[in-house]
Amino acid sequence: MKRTIEVNHLARVEGHGGIVVELDGNEVSDVQFKIFEGARLIERLLRGRSYGDVAQIVSRICAICSVAHSLTSLKATEAAFGIRPSAQTQGLRDLMYRGESIESHALHLFLLALPDYLGYPSAAAMVEKHGDAVAIGLRLKKLGNAIQETLGGRAIHPVNAVLGGFGALPTTRQLVALKDALEREREDCDRMIELLAGLPQEPFADADIAFAALRSSAWYGYYHGDLIDMLAAPTRQTFAAADYRAVATEEVVGHSHAKHSRFEGRPFMVGALARLAINGDLLRGRAVEAMQQLELAAPFRNPMDNNKAQAVELVNDVEAALATVDELLHAGLADEEPPSIRPREGTGTAITEAPRGLLIHSYTYDAGGHIVRADVITPTAINAASMEDHFRHAVARSKGGDDMARMLEMIARAYDPCISCSVHVVRKDHVA
Amino acid sequence: MTRRRAGKGAAPGQEGRTSEMSAPSVGIFGLTGCAGDQLVILNCEDQLLDILRALEVKDFSMASSANDTESALDIAFVEGAVLSKRDEETLRRIRERAGLLVAIGTCAVWGGIAAMDRGMDREGLLRDVYGEAGLEFDTMAAKALHEVVDVDLKITGCPIEADELIAGIAGLLNGNRPLTVTTPVCAECKMQEHSCLLVESSLPCLGPLTVGGCGARCPGLGIPCVACRGPCMDANVESALATYEEKGIARGQLERKLATFAPWRSVATHES
Repeated sequence: MKRTIEVNHLARVEGHGGIVVELDGNEVSDVQFKIFEGARLIERLLRGRSYGDVAQIVSRICAICSVAHSLTSLKATEAAFGIRPSAQTQGLRDLMYRGESIESHALHLFLLALPDYLGYPSAAAMVEKHGDAVAIGLRLKKLGNAIQETLGGRAIHPVNAVLGGFGALPTTRQLVALKDALEREREDCDRMIELLAGLPQEPFADADIAFAALRSSAWYGYYHGDLIDMLAAPTRQTFAAADYRAVATEEVVGHSHAKHSRFEGRPFMVGALARLAINGDLLRGRAVEAMQQLELAAPFRNPMDNNKAQAVELVNDVEAALATVDELLHAGLADEEPPSIRPREGTGTAITEAPRGLLIHSYTYDAGGHIVRADVITPTAINAASMEDHFRHAVARSKGGDDMARMLEMIARAYDPCISCSVHVVRKDHVA
Repeated sequence: MTRRRAGKGAAPGQEGRTSEMSAPSVGIFGLTGCAGDQLVILNCEDQLLDILRALEVKDFSMASSANDTESALDIAFVEGAVLSKRDEETLRRIRERAGLLVAIGTCAVWGGIAAMDRGMDREGLLRDVYGEAGLEFDTMAAKALHEVVDVDLKITGCPIEADELIAGIAGLLNGNRPLTVTTPVCAECKMQEHSCLLVESSLPCLGPLTVGGCGARCPGLGIPCVACRGPCMDANVESALATYEEKGIARGQLERKLATFAPWRSVATHES
């Protein structure tokens, strides 16, 4: 007997998408992660634009990841023109990423994912019985936004980070305020881990997962570095950012007219869990303890653990941001001469870790500094194939149980999809 | 379904409720865009719970999975631009349901960055990106909300300013039509005595032509305004153009920058 399980409009995610799973008896015959966003053609519209306009335009691909899009864009343009930002600039950018990640993870964990675990339709509906949890989430979210506002000028679509540096540097008073806020929120991090450790496990899937992430240097982070590590057990391989096409091969997928990213024919996952798989050795102190409290240990085989991985990152980000702010306060910020910007013909590729995973921007410029070609590969586009794989796996594992729509929604949410981001690369059939 | 239109300056009313001030029923929607304006709402961490108490939020799929997608709404906040037939149908349905339709964000008010292709060959663009298959997609050139339905209020910004939104909601709750800024970014910049990036540094700052309300955030940081809030209808366009020319900023470059978030034509011709 054939039947279809359909989630018409996936709620509590960014953007508009749906899920369709077709079953023939208990066999899964088709799986689709559908995208209903209109096509904005941003990469195409960048063609001919001057280098100074690019970051502000691509920031608008997605609000939740706007720091990642802006800064990856700057990093790519700087690579194309051979500009080397100072250590101070890079340190401040790293801090901006921590802020974005704290905000994004807190939003996702507390307002989007947690209601599923506690049996509510929304965080607002949880306020009466779980007001403390909602309050912790909102305070952490606010902290992330405070970091983004202090450095980027505003929380969404930052304006202060520019090619080579910053428009204005934060003041000592602002940094002291951030330090206070970070110290206050350490306690909320502990409460968050306790809360999540007490939630039911959701063993929807148990399978080998291939992971890719930016290989961090020194302390587990999101901005520094130019190498992509691909962990497709039993092998682990390293690729230069410029060779990103070797990591994410786009394939046309018949059932959905989509181009999905695969590595050697295999879907792979990016995001917090992937970063933990690849950079877990670079975690320190409280984050390591948090991992133990959450009973999170490699190898990771359940995509639902991405939620826990985000919580571990939140703990790590608060600690790392605090260390960075302390250093800045100790050393003082230097009013540096910005590097000179001379456009030249060539290609620049940059990778960073957006909250949802590996983000790639690659631009080719003409001699006058106008975009000839722009290529943006977003984490949600990469994750689409992996997500469909897990839908298939989980449906098969559940043996046709009756609450499959809820299960599919929870898996989709664990991936924390950002559908505005994905539409530029996943060539979906837009006919709804 | 009855369509209730609030008159000019009228509060979104609800009949039959006598206790306290009645909470207007509200829907918060996103068409095609970056979700940044809905995120601004969720980013009001200190006010969010109060906002949720003051409003009866019935339909907000970014934040809830239990939505009433049919009932009439006193106020609908809509972000994003119209880029597909699906968007267009969604918007018409929202219009039918809503007493007051509020466009939030530059995409909803002006078309936003997806409307950069105004005047370009849309079919050619689609072919470039998707090949021949692109022509089959449900997609169209970006439109602002008012190009499809009647819009009662516009709160612009990319993204909107939280203060402006909260003041707007407070106004509506008290029966007042929210005030919006009509002066240019330049005015807010001058009030704060920032040095002028255009006059003193010859940078292509778009503040003179862009509507304020942002507190001149960018020029305050030494960054030229990129006109993300859209055109200022009261701008002295001729005078500004003369200044740009004097500063050696080419008209083509200028128009291209202006057209990033909103149609430049509307500034030049003072169309709204």
